[in-house]
Amino acid sequence: MWRSLRAPAILAFTAGIAVGLRLAPASAQNTPIPRTPGWELVMRCVICHSVEVAVQQRFGPKGWSDTLDRMIKYGAPIPPEDKEQLLVYLLRHYRDADGR
Amino acid sequence: MTITRRGFLIASGAAVGLLRASGAPAQQPPAPVPGKEKLIVRSPRPANLEARLGDLTAYHTPEDVFFVRNNYDAAPIDPAQWSVKIEGEVDNPLVLRLDDLKKLPMVVQDVTLECAGNGRSFHKPRASGIQWEHGAVGNGAWKGVRLADVLSPARPRSAGRHVAFDGYDKPPTPQAPDFIRSVPMWKALEPHTILALEMNGKPLAHLHGGPARAIVPGFVGSASVKWLERIVVLVDEFDGFYMKSNYTAPRADNEKQVYSLQSLEVKSVIVGPSEGARLAAGRTAVWGWAWSGEGELTGIDVSTDGGQSWTEGTFTGSWSRYSWRKWEYEWDARPGTHTVMARASDSLGRIQPTSRAFNRLGYRWNVIHAVKVDVA
Repeated sequence: MWRSLRAPAILAFTAGIAVGLRLAPASAQNTPIPRTPGWELVMRCVICHSVEVAVQQRFGPKGWSDTLDRMIKYGAPIPPEDKEQLLVYLLRHYRDADGR
Repeated sequence: MTITRRGFLIASGAAVGLLRASGAPAQQPPAPVPGKEKLIVRSPRPANLEARLGDLTAYHTPEDVFFVRNNYDAAPIDPAQWSVKIEGEVDNPLVLRLDDLKKLPMVVQDVTLECAGNGRSFHKPRASGIQWEHGAVGNGAWKGVRLADVLSPARPRSAGRHVAFDGYDKPPTPQAPDFIRSVPMWKALEPHTILALEMNGKPLAHLHGGPARAIVPGFVGSASVKWLERIVVLVDEFDGFYMKSNYTAPRADNEKQVYSLQSLEVKSVIVGPSEGARLAAGRTAVWGWAWSGEGELTGIDVSTDGGQSWTEGTFTGSWSRYSWRKWEYEWDARPGTHTVMARASDSLGRIQPTSRAFNRLGYRWNVIHAVKVDVA
């Protein structure tokens, strides 16, 4: 019943890259994120969504790790070695005070 | 990997390059969205734009201050090329174009839409998702056709108990879940549930789901799917991510289980006076909006002493079954600092609470709204 959406999704994704080229730099420019090691990795998120979506979240180690795993499952280009660095960055700046 | 390396390098390289060229990041919020300059940009992509309470002064929320909540964005759609499929558990699948819909009886109704996550930012600790404050809510005049009239010629089978909406918005990668929401058949067939083609007397704008979107009154905003592509009659509730994971809350009888959100909560907001207002002593109008999903409003109470005592307010002005209602209270303000509060109740026996248990995704925030004011 739910026919495959792969073809339209790929088309939409291609369009998304094009949109990303136009919007991501402006979005990133306007979003002050600290320039500590790992910040460039956050720019990989802007392929799919603006930086604001990520940096308004607050999680502890498990929360951020689970979130990154979910994003990787959805196709975020974050190999394991980069995931660790990105995790360190996110926990340094966007950690939930309760450590979830 | 589904994202091509070249595509990634282009996108991220462009972003990083510009950041470096610009030096220190600009200390300013995201650029406003054209036509939506008055809204707070919670995220530019996907577009998530929130109204300031002080701009929600009209019964019909003007388009320029009507909030936008997108899980994914959609490319603009040419109304002449648009069509929607009616399929699934039906004997007569259909493809309908805009002209086909316009031959059906048109209705206009006032419906308040509220994002399920409105107020999420007030949860402690911070809940996951867009950090809305009070302004992911608005009341529109929606013109369109009854979903029942659209479904009827498709002849739904008796086994069909749910109706799913799928829009032309698609996730940015093939692996990410499509945004699809379903509603029970009883709600789909309710005469207030429509496919809207107009908002506030104008063709439905793209950011609001044009050319056609679902309007499911009383349900959380996510049920009112935008940019309709397919309407699918199902035997069971749709089992996708946006039904079984997102837009869910813990069950009251078993917190380890979740249910897919349906009705909005009973809720009210204070528009005037605003937080931190400095008022002159004397008669002051306290006012705002109240709404209540599947219930009907039965009362609005106002407190000017931080909830120690409550006095009944008055509903006033236009309203309809699924719209918000304006409420007012005339306050004889005395000098000092005061906490003004509003508390709505409804026909389902619900009343706004003083607290809300934390839930991971930050839904159901309808805690009594309070504003502090100084009276001189």
